[in-house]
Amino acid sequence: MKWDEFFVTGEPMIYGAMASIVLVSLAILVGLTYFKKWGYLWREWLTTVDHKKIGIMYILSALVMLFRGGVDALMMRTQLAGPDMKFLDAQHYNEVFTTHGIIMILFMAMPFIIGLMNVVIPLQIGARDVAFPRLNAVSFWLFFSGAMLFNISFVIGGSPDAGWTAYFPLASLELSPTVGNNFYSIALQIAGIGTLMTGVNFIVTILKMRAPGMKLMRMPMFTWSVLITCVIIVFAFPVLTVALALMMFDRMFGAQFFTMANGGMDMLWANLFWVWGHPEVYIVVLPAFGIYSEIISTFSRKNLYGYKSMVISMVAISLLSFLVWAHHFYTMGHGAMVNGFFSVTTMAIAIPTGVKIFNWLFTLHKGRIQFTTPMLYSLAFIPIFTIGGVTGVMLAMASADYQYHNTMFLVAHFHYVLIPGTVFAVIAGMYYWFPKLFGFRLNERLGKLAFWLIAICFNVTFLPLFFLGLKGMTRRMYTYSASTGFGPLNLLATIGSIGLAIGFAVLVYSIYWSFRYEPRDTTSDPWDARTLEWATHSPVPEYNFAVTPNVKSLDAFWFWKKDKQPLFEDKIEEIHMPNNNGQPFVLGVIFFFFGFFMIFSWWTPAIISGIAIVVMLAVRSFERDHGRHISVKEINKTEQQLRGDKA
Amino acid sequence: MKIDKTLPLEYQTEENSNRIFGFWIFLGAEIVLFSTLFAVYFTLWTRSGTGPSAAEIFQIKPVLLETFLLLTSSFTCGLAIHAMRLGMKKPFMTFMAITLLLGLGFLGIEIYEFVTYVHEGATLQTSAFLSSLFVLLGTHGAHVTMGLLWGSGIMIQTQREGFTHDTANKSFIFSLYWHFLDVVWIFIFSFVYLKGLM
Amino acid sequence: MKQLFPIRHVMGYVFSLILSVVALAVIVWDMSFTTAITILLICAAIQAAVQLFMFMHIDEDKSNKASNYTNIAYALFVGLVTIFGTLFTMIWGYL
Repeated sequence: MKWDEFFVTGEPMIYGAMASIVLVSLAILVGLTYFKKWGYLWREWLTTVDHKKIGIMYILSALVMLFRGGVDALMMRTQLAGPDMKFLDAQHYNEVFTTHGIIMILFMAMPFIIGLMNVVIPLQIGARDVAFPRLNAVSFWLFFSGAMLFNISFVIGGSPDAGWTAYFPLASLELSPTVGNNFYSIALQIAGIGTLMTGVNFIVTILKMRAPGMKLMRMPMFTWSVLITCVIIVFAFPVLTVALALMMFDRMFGAQFFTMANGGMDMLWANLFWVWGHPEVYIVVLPAFGIYSEIISTFSRKNLYGYKSMVISMVAISLLSFLVWAHHFYTMGHGAMVNGFFSVTTMAIAIPTGVKIFNWLFTLHKGRIQFTTPMLYSLAFIPIFTIGGVTGVMLAMASADYQYHNTMFLVAHFHYVLIPGTVFAVIAGMYYWFPKLFGFRLNERLGKLAFWLIAICFNVTFLPLFFLGLKGMTRRMYTYSASTGFGPLNLLATIGSIGLAIGFAVLVYSIYWSFRYEPRDTTSDPWDARTLEWATHSPVPEYNFAVTPNVKSLDAFWFWKKDKQPLFEDKIEEIHMPNNNGQPFVLGVIFFFFGFFMIFSWWTPAIISGIAIVVMLAVRSFERDHGRHISVKEINKTEQQLRGDKA
Repeated sequence: MKIDKTLPLEYQTEENSNRIFGFWIFLGAEIVLFSTLFAVYFTLWTRSGTGPSAAEIFQIKPVLLETFLLLTSSFTCGLAIHAMRLGMKKPFMTFMAITLLLGLGFLGIEIYEFVTYVHEGATLQTSAFLSSLFVLLGTHGAHVTMGLLWGSGIMIQTQREGFTHDTANKSFIFSLYWHFLDVVWIFIFSFVYLKGLM
Repeated sequence: MKQLFPIRHVMGYVFSLILSVVALAVIVWDMSFTTAITILLICAAIQAAVQLFMFMHIDEDKSNKASNYTNIAYALFVGLVTIFGTLFTMIWGYL
């Protein structure tokens, strides 16, 4: 392979990106050395097994990926702003919409949600950490190395360009001969393994590590939603693992799974992809439902309406989500029976979702509503998500779908579902739980400004797309002529997307501003909330709770505050904690190189790094690390400091 | 660390009991993984293109031998855990060794089978049927290989440390994994080989 | 639990050998496709159950019994949906 094939060349924007990557990396290295932060970075972050710090790292990575995916989106909108634009060529446009989709779903939405899970779940169930803290670190570093591997594709080797769904035969070696789609299959595989491990970890955590007295039906709704989500993760991700492996065999080893000759079946890829892909949608949406339930209940000053029906509807969604995948390819040409079946199951999913919407509305009903930033996002979510849901039912009708399929109508639909359903939720969750992690709130004035910009500009961006789709504009077309009449609405959408970008900029600025100037909280419960995470100090000490709470009801913390129901009855005892360890980080680095060599089919180094992975597993197996104990004296000292007592 | 002496050694600490439970969940994921591979195989198994069909390449003798070896190894693996629960280290080590040797025998025959296929011109690249066959069998074989390495590591640890919370827990989880591979093989035996030869 | 002779394991082993031989019938004798598949399905299901209960002792962990059963049931649900759903959409759906 020649060097000019190795690096992506011939595009001024790419050169700019390369230069900026080199400069930013150098700046980080120099900065770390100058401020003597290498030791701090290694001890406190790279080797950590603390669920709170891992959560913060997930969220930071997600924000960086949100920026990358957002830039992709802006580039697409610029190209489509008017007819016959020459901003991007067809190939570049293909790469941009492909990476936008993958990054937003797998490297932004997923890690953001997993980050919030990490931060909140152990606190919400009164646990000291997750069930397997070391595995949790492994999950993070696998995700991170997968994300980095995927992101270097745009300067080294070339990005995947067959859409985020990577349909065959387009994604085959024959029609996509660059290494782009190898990046797709390997990077997603590595990140996917990490996600699967997270799923196992949190199921065990939630089922086995709850505080005494917290029965299943006393769990906060966010915990419930995460439990159900993890069940979907554990049973859906293996399908992706297989699909990506088969893609790898087809592209790198000449197998015939999805080829057009020798018996291969190209649509089998689409089938497998969506067997995973549809449950994946619920993986990113269900935790969001949990977040909204917490926020709406807290800021309405009421307990959640219809707790049981919320749980039942989530269980129903988790089962139904595995029964609807073929609605993504109604137009493939299978018979009426198949389309009929999947139409019915798809429409059926609207029922449990509708139940949830009404539960939120009834929670709001006669509540004393406080319009805080997280609450604003939750309130905006309900109507916007309903538009997304209703258009979803339109798309669910197989015969009508022949009209909408792969048009901008579809694009508008899934952005109307995923942005309020996931992005609004994670932003709301970030605002809501931020004071727990850092001990101060994010500024409300800037937060509300960002909210209004985002909520309004979101609609300006995506509402026109419904009409463009109905007029016949298909998705993924890189330009159009003036005679189509698509120009004005596209221009409107582009203007909206710029507003959306400004909104996100304000949001990031509000984080910076709040770090500098926002007054520090003296209470540990700034929102007057209901669940256990607010019962400990902010910022949370490493052991979470000095004394394990004894839960006697749903929203036990609320009744402790209002009715003086006892919560912390036991004495402080020695606490057992896991030790920090560098192995997960090293494993992530090795996986990165293993993936990289696989992508370029450099077999010798790939085999060497593959053996290194097995060696790492063996090292772990032979290691004996039983953690450490924090003494009562030390706990008392920390607690006094956190309470602000003079020792 | 809370220790519950009423339970078998491998369950006694809370952490270890969680590990066993977590591994069961992981096996749930493995069930779906192999189901997907079966789904691919069932979809593609008649699509042999210009290459040989299932009935043309399958031979019952090596398959029966493989089945016998793996069933027996699953049995001896169970015996090893039974010995562990009785605190008998020597029988445990012997049964583990037999288990791994039988596993190695299984793997040897599978490799021999693969080599025969390739000599007959039936490779991964020949047809969709053969791609799906090789990947399904190969995934199972890779699991067995992994199990051999893992089991050997556990034997070394038990030899050094005796039955402790750690080694007992690892051995038990290994046994779950090994029995599970046997379950997968039963389905391969029935629905790949026997069905293919029908 | 404390008995020396592992009666459950031996029974399980004998069962699994017998069931394998029974399954072999489908290639020895000529029979209709439906009969053969039924025999294979029944034998494989019993064998899997033998492994689960007699070797893996899925029922011995009292605190996780319900979770373990739910886990396996859910996995089987998704697995079967994947297998039959794929056949339904990719092959039978065209007939």
